[in-house]
Amino acid sequence: MKTDVLTAPHSIEYTYTRSTGPMIGAFMTGLRDGKIIGVRGADGRVHVPAIDYDPVTSEDLSELVEVADTGVVTTWSWNDQPRSGQPLEHPFAWALVRWDGADTAMLVAVDCGDASTISTGAKVKARWADERTGTIHDLCCCELQS
Amino acid sequence: MSNRVAVVGVGQTKYAAKRQDVSIAGLLREAATRALDDAGMTWADIDAVVIGKAPDMFEGVMMPELYLADALGAVGKPMLRVHTAGSVGGSTGVMATHLVSSGAHKRVLVVCFEKQSESNATWALSIRLPFTGGSVTGAGGFFAPVIRAYMRRANAPDDIGIKVAVKDRLNALNNPYAHLKLPDISEEMVRESPMLWDPIRYLETCPSSDGACAIVLADEDSAKGTPNPPAWIHGTAVRSEPTMGAGRDVVNPHAGRDCAKDVYAQAGITDPRRDIDCAEIYVPFSWYEPMWMENLGFAAEGEGWKMVDDGSTSFTGDMPINPSGGVLSSNPIGASGMCRFAEAALQVRGMAGDHQVDGARTALGHAYGGGAQFFAMWIVGSEPR
Repeated sequence: MKTDVLTAPHSIEYTYTRSTGPMIGAFMTGLRDGKIIGVRGADGRVHVPAIDYDPVTSEDLSELVEVADTGVVTTWSWNDQPRSGQPLEHPFAWALVRWDGADTAMLVAVDCGDASTISTGAKVKARWADERTGTIHDLCCCELQS
Repeated sequence: MSNRVAVVGVGQTKYAAKRQDVSIAGLLREAATRALDDAGMTWADIDAVVIGKAPDMFEGVMMPELYLADALGAVGKPMLRVHTAGSVGGSTGVMATHLVSSGAHKRVLVVCFEKQSESNATWALSIRLPFTGGSVTGAGGFFAPVIRAYMRRANAPDDIGIKVAVKDRLNALNNPYAHLKLPDISEEMVRESPMLWDPIRYLETCPSSDGACAIVLADEDSAKGTPNPPAWIHGTAVRSEPTMGAGRDVVNPHAGRDCAKDVYAQAGITDPRRDIDCAEIYVPFSWYEPMWMENLGFAAEGEGWKMVDDGSTSFTGDMPINPSGGVLSSNPIGASGMCRFAEAALQVRGMAGDHQVDGARTALGHAYGGGAQFFAMWIVGSEPR
């Protein structure tokens, strides 16, 4: 039995607004200034990006800490076929990078040419955008440091 | 109910068009910390957290509860999210009550919110899906014909909605958390405001608000040590029905009548107008006050508008409705039902400040949602039952 399937296009879109609050806001503002901003938690650990509330005690956090824009790869995965909208158009590594001075790692693209060049423990440095606007795109990616 | 449950803490944010100084998490946090302070508790005292909010598309954050555990002290504890459209603030309070009345938990934090400034609710409610009809008019467009049906059926004078709009805005002047403050409000001002969805004028509809409302629920033992008077929960009820259906009475929904009957039976209320001292009910469009007066049994069918006309529902009337200013003065959608429940609790705790109804000992909190198809109610009292 032949069945006709009804199909129709359905697209919805809206420009949402986000209020970041005092801690995430400080992190975003820091990016615009070429700085990486974390926050000290109740147990002394420095969380990057800065977070509003302590993950252990739930208390408000307020002690902002600037960390270095150099750090170490804690784990990584190779992206051989980048898709549109990703940080780089050529193959790169997605890596968790723990910035020097931080106790947590965040996800960053590493522009290192070939998968054979990167390893856990590798040292990296941030590559900043020329024109920064206070978004995560200000931090383009990382490069390997020799 | 099995074990006794009390509201021992209430916290609200100031309701406003835009709270751009805080994130979504920060907004909830503000209400939650105020509720904990009222209860004399800290995050560590809470056994479980229940979150309520309206559709995710209102902020564009899918399942926001997934990232709110840190902000609400819920790490390592049970956290649940309730969703029943506009009634969610009420049904979240009911579900949380069950967690305590069942004996599952002793102290539960309940937080409801909406941050309407991050999107546009009328847009989100007007999306037309393929192969379906769509009115593309938001909630006002949906309810306007229902209100017209009520006016015709009850033979109500045209100005009843205007009177509700003035009354609630006057009440809001006594509520420090209310969003709309219109000291010059008058029947003429409402009448002259633009007609949005006939017969609903601009000033007969609710604002779009950012805000959160939180309560702390406690079992009898935990309530003993709290610094402020508790509100004891005498009954809770939730009812639902479909949006559309042959024979459905959308003006006076069956689910609403059943929900009221159930909650009154639990609370020992036989004559609501006599036995209840004040009520906070969900009135996003002015005409819903007389309509709900009938649905809730405060007035006979076709007679609800007379309670507005003769001033019975005003702050100084015999049946004060929405002494806080109600949804017409503040509408953080997902929190609006919880505001009704919380304000009812504040009244019987004697903590409603300048909008305290003298001698209020029994109060009704009410919420509705969807196409007037989801209902949630509770009765709270000054004394345990």
